[in-house]
Amino acid sequence: MKNQILQAYKQAPWRIQIQWIGLFLLAVVLIAAITGLYLNISAQAATSGRKIQYLESDIEDINNEIADLTTQLAEAQSTENMRARAEELGFKMIDPNNAVYLEIPGYDPNADLVLAPPRVNIIAESPIVKSSYKISLWEWFIDQIWQPTINSTGIEGGMLP
Amino acid sequence: MKMPFHGRYLSIVIICAILGGAIVVQMVRINYTIYAQQLIAKSEDYQGIEKVIYPSRGNIYDRSGHILATNQVGYELGIDLKFVADPESIAFSVASIIDDMDYVNVYELANTEKRDVENRYFVLSSYVSKEKIDELARLKENYAERRQEQKSSKPSLSGLVWYPMQQRTYPEGTLAANILGFYNYFSRETAQGVYGIEESYNRLLTGKPESVFMPNDPYLVEALPDTQPGASLVLTIDRDIQSMIEKTLADAIEWSDAEGGTIIVADPKTGEILGMASTPYFNPNEYWKYEETFPGITPYNRAIGTTYEPGSVFKVITMAAGLDSGVVEPSSTYNDASGVYWVANSWPIYNWDGGAWGEQDMTGCMQHSLNVCLAHIAIDLLHEDLFYQYVQAFGFGKSTGIDLASEANYPLRLPTSNQWVEIDLATNSFGQGIAVTPIQMVTAISAVANDGLMMTPHVVRSVIDRGQQYDVTPQVINSPISAETARTLTQMLTVALEEEASDALVEGYSIAGKTGTGEIPTEFGYTSELTNTSFVGWGPSDDPQFLVYVWLEKPSISKWGSVVAAPVFRDVVEQLVVLMRIPPDNIRLGTANE
Repeated sequence: MKNQILQAYKQAPWRIQIQWIGLFLLAVVLIAAITGLYLNISAQAATSGRKIQYLESDIEDINNEIADLTTQLAEAQSTENMRARAEELGFKMIDPNNAVYLEIPGYDPNADLVLAPPRVNIIAESPIVKSSYKISLWEWFIDQIWQPTINSTGIEGGMLP
Repeated sequence: MKMPFHGRYLSIVIICAILGGAIVVQMVRINYTIYAQQLIAKSEDYQGIEKVIYPSRGNIYDRSGHILATNQVGYELGIDLKFVADPESIAFSVASIIDDMDYVNVYELANTEKRDVENRYFVLSSYVSKEKIDELARLKENYAERRQEQKSSKPSLSGLVWYPMQQRTYPEGTLAANILGFYNYFSRETAQGVYGIEESYNRLLTGKPESVFMPNDPYLVEALPDTQPGASLVLTIDRDIQSMIEKTLADAIEWSDAEGGTIIVADPKTGEILGMASTPYFNPNEYWKYEETFPGITPYNRAIGTTYEPGSVFKVITMAAGLDSGVVEPSSTYNDASGVYWVANSWPIYNWDGGAWGEQDMTGCMQHSLNVCLAHIAIDLLHEDLFYQYVQAFGFGKSTGIDLASEANYPLRLPTSNQWVEIDLATNSFGQGIAVTPIQMVTAISAVANDGLMMTPHVVRSVIDRGQQYDVTPQVINSPISAETARTLTQMLTVALEEEASDALVEGYSIAGKTGTGEIPTEFGYTSELTNTSFVGWGPSDDPQFLVYVWLEKPSISKWGSVVAAPVFRDVVEQLVVLMRIPPDNIRLGTANE
């Protein structure tokens, strides 16, 4: 009788097998999902890496092209070329005795050349991209633990606005 | 009770365990054998390359923003032995397309046995033009198509590689080359500016190269560091003035049959050099021909690199000292009765023509350039101490500090020196026995043209670094004479020039100036008939805006500065006033209709 009662509460063997198979499949699915996610991120990282390489190459090409075009422009505007072009157009050097001088208010022929803004005092350079956009969640977490003072000010590495 | 197929399962487990164990053993073995280091080194070859990023060298502009020096693309052509499959084709194509390339040499390089990683790359040419590289690229593509059609491994230019890099270029050619210097870019590691601006501002122009590791693994790729280009410079040089004086100097040398020459145009109020021409002319785009243009000890820039005895232009300094110290006034007179002045009753000093000019005031002394008069002022009135005090105050005996490389300086022989003798005081007073550079003369005499203030000569007006422009502030070196003395002397030299009816006079403009004829010493004394002829002048006299110095070395047409250098000065000033937009005096002073 006692044996019969125990028998009534025991799982059927096929049920246990199904549970194990289910657990195993769940683990497989989880591993597959994580692997898939990892592969996806890796693929994106690799693609981005290659894009960076191509963009760096493009930047170099563009800089070289700019340098070449600047040189071509400078050569086209060189003293010799400009003089030749002026002569072709019928201009000639003025005879100082025949020069006519006009006073033009506000015109300063010797005004300083300005190719860039004047010097200003720079107090400190702040990074354009916040470090929170360049680090992983884990790195941010470690930062939070080791650099509580800096983070509490919200200057560096803060995730919250 | 044994499970069915127990033996088979056991066999599989044992085989797997043995395989796993073997893998572990092999991994350990690889890490601890003598080949481990070699394998690690080999693997580094595939990890990426260490690359030095050279920032663009800064541009050089003239004062109006015209480019005098910039960069263009050139290519480094090399052979990467790792990928060479057909040395014959490489040697043939390179030798036929690139000048100065020899088939045998290229073949030997391309056919070298594949070496270790560090020795597998050879540079064939440091800078190849884009056109030549395009030809090689087309040939490479043609060979690839032919290989595909023929299904063979040849012909192939695989292993022939090229990398773009920037090379220095000077769009104006020879213009201002003596000021700019050049950049010897063939070897990037050792490249540097040589002479002129390129040398003196080399560090600023170069920027800071950065070494970065570029991994092949795309996961490790990061954006390259943002290297700042070298600083750009805006010069005080006016391209049109520079072009004009270079042409005028070339014409003057041809006309006078001089050995060489220099013309400097400066703004005496600021010390800015507006133009500086010096022979021989040189194209810095072909800097490797330097030895051909400057054989032996030929200076790169005579204006700053050559010392010579200036002759009578130095009388301006002596007269300035006399006036400023109060030992003479413009109306003071000197009676040149015999045309000779005896120094310590031993050494006679004669005038340039050997004649006696009678009683002369100080303007007359300068107008007729009387050696005896100036020797009298230096010896009898100033005496050695005061004379040399003024000479030193005018900056002679030391460099001017101009921001160009290779400035020369000849030490001043002072009375404290054992080599100094009394006649030196007399000869120094009219510019003999003293060696100066043209830029020293310009700097010193600019004090007379600038109310007694002597400005540091300079050629850089602004520096553009990291997007910001820094303007150079003119610096006062010294104030050797008072403003009153400077104006008085300018007035005296204006009158002297007009009364002499000098060839240096420019119609409509009041000019102050002085000629110079310097004898050239030989090992036997002043025995040569050849001279250094010069002229220094500034104007307009009431408000000097330019100072022009002309020096022609050993002209054949005449030995006198008044005949050779004065007309060249006039030619320069006639064009200069137009380029600088300086109207004639009557218009500028509003007296045209009076």
